[in-house]
Amino acid sequence: MTVTISRVYLLDVANNTIQEAELWDAITEKHLADWEAEWMPELFKATQKLHRANVERRLWPQSRHWDWRRKASVLNGMLGNPGFSIVCGGLTQGMMIVDSSMKRCRIPSQKGRDLVYVEFIENAPWNRRELLFDPPRYRGIGTVLIRAAIELSKAEDFKGRIGLHSLPQANSFYANTCGMVDFGVDANHEGLRYFEMTPEHAEAFIAKGTSP
Amino acid sequence: MTTAKKTMTLNLTDAEMRVLDELCAKKDLNKTAVLRQALKLYQTVETRLDRGDRLFFEDEKTKEKAEVMML
Repeated sequence: MTVTISRVYLLDVANNTIQEAELWDAITEKHLADWEAEWMPELFKATQKLHRANVERRLWPQSRHWDWRRKASVLNGMLGNPGFSIVCGGLTQGMMIVDSSMKRCRIPSQKGRDLVYVEFIENAPWNRRELLFDPPRYRGIGTVLIRAAIELSKAEDFKGRIGLHSLPQANSFYANTCGMVDFGVDANHEGLRYFEMTPEHAEAFIAKGTSP
Repeated sequence: MTTAKKTMTLNLTDAEMRVLDELCAKKDLNKTAVLRQALKLYQTVETRLDRGDRLFFEDEKTKEKAEVMML
């Protein structure tokens, strides 16, 4: 398998400086090892902090149950399910798996057309303010990954159409930062809100730039 | 982020080309994209069947299910 690595930029929040990072169009053993050895202990500690701060369980990160090694293994070699990862400062800062073959648009003007569906997307725990990492280490990971999904959509001739079900903590990011259409709660998908981006929304998102 | 691609020549009958054209118009995709989608879908179905899964179509209104028998 050929892996392409592109240069992207993240904001180092503490130093208020722009850091060079790598966007990989794959999830490799190095990224999974980072998830296992670096993310998981931090995620566990963050959940413990939320519990001790009497934060309701429904507000704990739902992704704490995600097993990226299993996901990557099941989808390994599937043409319709590529993975992406971002590395900065020697560590994996975010990962994403998409589905580019099985999902269709719901927006009436695009109904039935193919899109890139973001199946799983996660930021490293130390980049997440909602996990009480304040300040977070890097900003811009979600933006870079959504831009990668849009670029894949364009490469597949889907014209930038993407869709996803959002975890509650990310609703505002997809609605406001990404400018996606909010379809509200999807009763068939664990009560998560469904968001979709048209080709026009994708162009607007790109025009805004991906600077963190 | 671009991946290197290889070119191939594809021979289709008039009927096959007509279906391809119709799908391109319906899905707002070029011919290459439709064929790549077909390949992804074919791989997904084969992988799931190899895993022991079964393929069904469900009528949205009646909820009646019909299994697609892949022999």
